[in-house]
Parts: sequence; structure tokens; C-alpha cells
Amino acid sequence: MGIDRRTFIQLVTGGVVGSLFTPVIWKSLDDAAIWSQNWSWIPRLKYGQITEQATISKFGPSPCSLMVKSVAGSPYVAKGNADNEMSKGGVDAISAGGAQLLYSPSRVKGPMKKVADGKYESISWDDAEKMLSKKLSAVKGQAGKLAIVSGDATGTSTEVLSAFAAGMGSNDCYLMPGDEQAAAVALENMGGSGQIGYDLENSDFVLLIGADAMNSWGSVVRNQRVYADNRPTGGDIESVYVYAGPFLNSTAAISDKWIPVAPGTGAIFSLGLAYHMLNAGASASVADFADFKTLVMSRFTPDKVEKAIGVAPGVMAGLAKQLMSASAPLVISGSEFGQGAGAVDIIAASALNMLLGRVGEKGGMKLLAELPLAVDSAVSRAELSSRDFAGYLAAVATDKVKAPEVMMAYEANPVYAMPQATTMAAAIAKVPFLVSFSTWMDETASTADLIMPNPHSFERFDDAQTPYGVGTAMLSACAPVIEPLYNGKSTVDVILGVASGLGIDLGYESVEAVLQAKAEKAGADWDSLVEGAAYVSDSTESGSLKFAASVLSKAVIMPKGGEIALAPYAKLNVGSSTMAIPPLNCVTVSKFELQGKDLFVQINGKTAKKLNASEGSKVKLAGAGGECVARVHINEGVMNDVIAAPLGFGHTAWDEFSRGKGDNISKILTVGTEPGTGMAVWTSSFVSVA
Amino acid sequence: MQQIEFDTKWTMVVDIDKCSGCGSCMVSCQAENNIAPMEDGSNKLKTLTWMLVYELNNGKEFPERESAYLPRPCMQCGNPACVPVCPVVATTKDEEGGIVSQIYPRCIGCRYCMAACPYHARYFGWFDPIWPEGMEKALSPKTSTRPRGVVEKCNFCHTRLMDARARARAEGMDPNKLPDGWYKPACLESCPTGAISFGDSKNPEHKVHDLIKDKNAFRILESIGMDPQVYYISRRDWVREQSDNHLPKDKH
Ligand code: SF4
Repeated sequence: MGIDRRTFIQLVTGGVVGSLFTPVIWKSLDDAAIWSQNWSWIPRLKYGQITEQATISKFGPSPCSLMVKSVAGSPYVAKGNADNEMSKGGVDAISAGGAQLLYSPSRVKGPMKKVADGKYESISWDDAEKMLSKKLSAVKGQAGKLAIVSGDATGTSTEVLSAFAAGMGSNDCYLMPGDEQAAAVALENMGGSGQIGYDLENSDFVLLIGADAMNSWGSVVRNQRVYADNRPTGGDIESVYVYAGPFLNSTAAISDKWIPVAPGTGAIFSLGLAYHMLNAGASASVADFADFKTLVMSRFTPDKVEKAIGVAPGVMAGLAKQLMSASAPLVISGSEFGQGAGAVDIIAASALNMLLGRVGEKGGMKLLAELPLAVDSAVSRAELSSRDFAGYLAAVATDKVKAPEVMMAYEANPVYAMPQATTMAAAIAKVPFLVSFSTWMDETASTADLIMPNPHSFERFDDAQTPYGVGTAMLSACAPVIEPLYNGKSTVDVILGVASGLGIDLGYESVEAVLQAKAEKAGADWDSLVEGAAYVSDSTESGSLKFAASVLSKAVIMPKGGEIALAPYAKLNVGSSTMAIPPLNCVTVSKFELQGKDLFVQINGKTAKKLNASEGSKVKLAGAGGECVARVHINEGVMNDVIAAPLGFGHTAWDEFSRGKGDNISKILTVGTEPGTGMAVWTSSFVSVA
Repeated sequence: MQQIEFDTKWTMVVDIDKCSGCGSCMVSCQAENNIAPMEDGSNKLKTLTWMLVYELNNGKEFPERESAYLPRPCMQCGNPACVPVCPVVATTKDEEGGIVSQIYPRCIGCRYCMAACPYHARYFGWFDPIWPEGMEKALSPKTSTRPRGVVEKCNFCHTRLMDARARARAEGMDPNKLPDGWYKPACLESCPTGAISFGDSKNPEHKVHDLIKDKNAFRILESIGMDPQVYYISRRDWVREQSDNHLPKDKH
């Protein structure tokens, strides 16, 4: 990607040569062909029976159900699984190369222990498990000594990990940051239970505030499919999309309207809209409605909102009117890059859904019931989602909390992917014994004391329940498509074994048994799940929500203005928080994001003038915890005083396809604390530019 | 050269308003067509991307800016510029359906066809294709591998057409009258936003038959008369206007 239209136009050439030849020329050209080609280099193709099998990939920000095509048992291409509700037949740009990722140069081929800085030695699974058991038995029963972080927010594997933590006497089992965290904290504050969901497919007017639904918010592939179905090619638009955010990202590009709004100010935008709705007579029979109304009418008047986020009163009033006159409007809020939003962003957007009467309605915001836990002693999803790993690590970094003795990272790469990455990596470095269960030699595995590789998505049993953002509770599962290529072992099997050695009974003996039990308890049929169907449940939570006006009143802070704000964005083709640029994806990276080893950030012409920068000039960006070097690309799709910057670059581990390319924007994110909820937030990061 | 009219015309229609530029089509194209990964993907003069997603914008300043994505495969032109310039007949347009072939063992790498193609749809293999160790086991049996030194391009996943025809024959149907949806290129199959439609535009039972007549349908550089078999659709005037090499004051 990333060649502008001019290249099409510059080269309108026609018949370059005539077509008269003599046999002499033919002969010499034939020789030339033999000379110029180099056939012996070319690998032979493998032929055999072509089969298709369903699986789930966990490479992207949300699970994707796939059909994998194999030749003589070897997977070679992945396509969508149209029969599965979770991703409705789409494929994300990482999963599309999932078969090739089986042979990624970054795969960890077997268990390893660190012997010296940066050096590893292969060990047997027996020895690895003994080593882990020994470390764990020394901390069993002592709170604060074991921390676990999982990058898999949907798998039952994470349930096993949280149950194991509980059995070990640890309360420190966390998820990697994601939008579900803000949503869970918001829901708690609004007095609701279950999981917030959005019935996108039945909405006729979708307002996305921050939430980059095509790249990083919610169940991305499913969002794309739903969008596609509601806007048939050559047919009428059945669902209008409006995107509000700082950058003309691809969600904005394919929406009917883009409203530029400063990064991290989604709550102010929502409350500014609430003002117009309340003015037009909207209300809700909720206990704290009066407090909410007073708050909005006094602090979020059109002039104050315009001053804070730069959106003109007329635009706000017009949008409020559109929402109120739509038959099934839906407001969704989230971080522009899938992490770091505050609970207030979700509370304020939920307030709009409440004013519009859209909670629990078809095409509206839903409160989805959790599927029953497979492991009794596991932490509920709502509880786990609301836990604050960034806050925990920040406290470890500043010694407010003592570093744990053992930290285990499952499907997670916190050393690279946490906000204010350098600070957080330093916090992790304080942990005496770090265990990585990664499939890949990522940044976390590369500093771990013990690596116990989990098999690749296509080689293992796995499942996925109700990814954040979907409108109904659901469950998918998969069985291996191919025997493990290397000496990996399912993390759940490792944990079950180690747990039983430590006298912790998790109730199961194998990963397959856990997943089957999950399916059974949910009321799903395991066999049809494994064949690729998703189980869908329409059960929802009852009870009404409140506006959480007191939280809003404390937590929404008007920006000072005058600073340069960072608008990070995540694009799936570049990778995800658990996956660096996959080999096949290198050519998909835009030249406006990476050229050679240089990262590009984007600013508009006006901001460039202010910063004295021009196309291609080098800048150094500094946040609270670090610096990044980049070059400038002038893009008029970025708001004034905003720097749009792609996440996913600047890897220091992995392989030649991603290592050393660009810089890691996570380093210059600044982690703050949200007043009123105390959770760590980082969507409002400001940078200095030199 | 006389333009041959076929009874079947395999046609792609891309809805630009729906493409989110996610790149899934490009990745699945590479997997399906055995394009070796390239470490430096930013060297766009050396990379092989049979399917390439371009970024377009309306040229206006903030806040008037709009952008769009345009996936570009080979256009399989009715009147291809590349075919007559090939000195060794390594590229032809003579098969029912109108797909422009590329015969690698015949190609001498002279690159006349590349210079002739106004869509930049043709690529030259500058390097030996090298897969990371073991990754050759994930090669697709559907597309032959190519050495360096030859020109290659999108062929609408031609073997999928052969497979669909074989299936029709096996089921006692006319292989030249495939039902809609039997033949799907890999890019379409992976596109999550449904931006790509595909079929025989001469067959009234195929969706693309009507789509190419949509009031918002257009082709790129239509005025140079190459009669491409790839159409685009956009409701946005500025997107349609950029599709041709016209002067700013030209009116459509
Ligand atoms: S897969 Fe579809 S949405 Fe993604 S870039 Fe290709 S055409 Fe566009």
C-alpha cells in the first residue's frame, strides 16, 4: 500500500515495441530466457489431497474463525468461515497468512532456559516443568508473590490461569490492556452486570467515538462483515456510519462522515451531544438522571465543548438531531487504538444510548450474560476484565507495590506492548523469575528466565467466548489442524500438571477436557463447535443502568489546550500486541508508515508549519517515559496539533521481518490515573517535539 | 490487434467505498500465489504485489480531507497493452473468459510488458524467491513458483477457474457456464468488508452483470481504451473523477 494515484497517471504508455520478429531473434531470446531464469532455486510444490478444516486464530486483537486449506496435511491458505457468527466469514490480515506463520523464523521450537544474558539453552519439558514447580512452590499461599498476565481475553485458557492464580493465593492475574477493561469498570460504576455488547447489525445509525471498528475496536473482522452486509455493493445503505476521532483512519475513510475530535476526549464529545439531546427533551427514568442533567447542562454547554475539543456547536446539534431521528441509533465509544480509554468514555457514550432509549433494544447496547465458568475457582470475566495491569505495573515501577517473585505471561508480550513501554519493561525486569508461554521469540520471551512455548493457533485446542463488542454471547472452539511442528506444549496442559503437583485441583486433566466442559456448561455442542459453528446465546442481564453522574463529574477533565497530542493508531496488517509484522505482511505496510528502517508519523500542514517540520524531516518525540525517533509525513487527514502515529513497529526481538524497523510508539504513551475510578488511562498522551 | 470477444467475461467489481485498506486481500494473494515474503517491504520498486491497495485522497486540506483505498489487481484488459509488446508470446489473451495469461517458462524478463501496462500491474522478480526455512512447506499447490528474472502478475487465481470447471464437468454441467460464486479469487475470499465482487459479466445470472452497469461504476483510465475487466464503484464524485487522466477542468 502507499503509492499515490499519480503513479497510475504518470505512466500512461502504449505500444512500446513492434511485434515483427525473425526466427533469429526468437532463438536468441530463448537463450536469454534460459540464462536469466534460475529454476534450480525454486522449491517444488507439494501435491496431494486438499482438505479444509475449521480453526480459530488468535493472532489479531480479537479471535477470527477460519477455514484452513491444507495440501497433503500441510496448511497453505486460510479463508473466512462464513458459518461462524464470531467473524462471519471474514479474515484479518494477520490470519490470512496464518499457515505461513507456522514456519515463522520467530517460532520458539521447544522449552528453553536462560543461561546468560540473551543466551538460551534448550531443556526438556520435564526439566522446564520442574523448574517452574520449584519456583512456584516457594511462593505458594503468599499474596503478592505471583503475577500472571494473559493476552487472551476470550479463551477458557485464561480462566484456567486465573483459577490457578487463586489456588496459589495470588490476586494478581490480569489481562493485557484492551477496551474491555474500560467497559467493565464503566459497567460496574453504572450498576450493571455482565458484559457490554453492541448489536451493530441491527442498527441503522452507528456513531463511533474514538473506537476504530475496522482496525482495533471490538471484534474487528465481525465489525467489517456487519458493515459490509448493511451496505451492499450496488444497493442502498441500510446503516449510516459516523466516526469521531482525531485521525482520518480507515474507519473514518469508509464512514459517511468524519468528525475530527481531539484524542482521548470522547467523553466530552458524548456529553456535548447529551446537552443537545437533553435540550430537545430527552430523558431517562433512572435514579441519578437529575444529577446527570445538571452536570451536563452546566459543564458541557456548546461553547465550553467547542473550546475543549474544537467541535462547532452546529455540528454537535446536527449530529444529536440525526441520532434522535434515527430508528435504531447506536453509540459506541472506545480508545482510538484499542487500549487505554477511561471508564468515563464508555459511561458517557452509554448515557447517550440511555437517553436514546437504546439499552437492551434491538440494534442497541446490550448487557450480555457471561457463559458459565468451566473452572469453578476461576475469576469471573467481568472481574478479570476490570483489573488494571497497567496500574499494577506502574505501581511496581515506582515501588509502591513490591515486584512479584514470579511472573507468567501467556499469549502476551508486555515488555513490548504496554503503554509507557520503557517504564513498564523496567518494572517487569524487577521480577526475579519471568516465564513466557509465547509461541514466538517476542520481546518478553527474549528476557524471560524460562520459555515454555505454546503451540501455534493451528496446532492446538482453543476456544473463544464473546469477544468484547459483539452483540450476543457466543462461543467458538477448535481442534488442531496440524500436529505440532515443534516441541511446544499447550500452556493449559502445563498449568494443569504443575497445579496438581502443587496440590491445587483445577478439576481437569487436559486442555481438551476443560474446553469440552466449557462448551457443555454453556449448552453448546462440542462437536459442532470444532467443526466451525459458533454457539450463540441470546441471554442478557436484566436491571437498569444509572448514569454514574458522580463519577462523570470527577473524571471528565477539560483539556488545557496548546499542547501537541499523540493519536496512536493500530493497523492489523502491521500486527497486533501479540504479533510483530508477519513475513507476508511486509509488503502491505504503507510507505507513509515505514521506509527502510524509518518510521513515519503524520501531521497536517498547519501543524507542520508550527513545528517547523516538512515532508520527510526527522523529529524526536518525547513522552513522560521515553522517546521515539520518526520522520514526518504530511497528511491532511490529521487534526491540528495532533500527531498520528502507528503502533506495531520498533521491535527489538522477533525476526528480520520486523526487528529494528521503525520505533515503538508505546514508549511515548503517558500513563495517567483516571480521577473517580483510579484506573490507569493513556488515550490523552501529549508529546514534546524536537 | 483485433480484440477477441468471448462468451464469458470474468469480471471483478471493487466497491471502493467499502474497502478499509486492511490488506487481507494482499496477504491471501501472496499465500495463494506463492509470492515469497520480502524483508524490505517498503521498497515498492522491488516488491511483488499482484494485488496492491493504493491510498487515495481528495487533495483537500484539513478538515476537508477525505480518503479512500483502491485495491488493484491486473485489469485483464480486453485490449491489453502488454500482450502485443511481448517478443516471445509469454503473455496472451486467448482463453475463454478473457484472463490475460502469463507463461513464466517462456518469459525472458525483457519487461516491455511492464512498461506498457499503465496500471503497474506487472512485476519483475529481481531476486530469487526465498522462503524462511520450512515455509516452503506452506506453499500453495495452486500456483507454480517462479524464478527471479521473469515478469509475473495477477491472473484472477486462474487455477481456481480450472477447479470450478472441473467441478462443473464432474457434476454434469457446462464448464463454460459456471453458476455465480463457484469461481472466487483468493482476495475476494478473504476480504472482510465484502468490497470485492466477482463473476461473469456476460451472464445475467451473475451479480457483476448488473453491478458494472451501476450508475457509480467506472474503470480506471477508461479513456485510453484498454477495456479493463476490473470495475470500481464509488458514490464519491472525487473518487470517480480521479479514475481518469483528465485535466482539472475536464467535465465527465
Ligand atoms: S481485503 Fe477488502 S477491505 Fe481489505 S484491503 Fe483488500 S479489498 Fe480492501
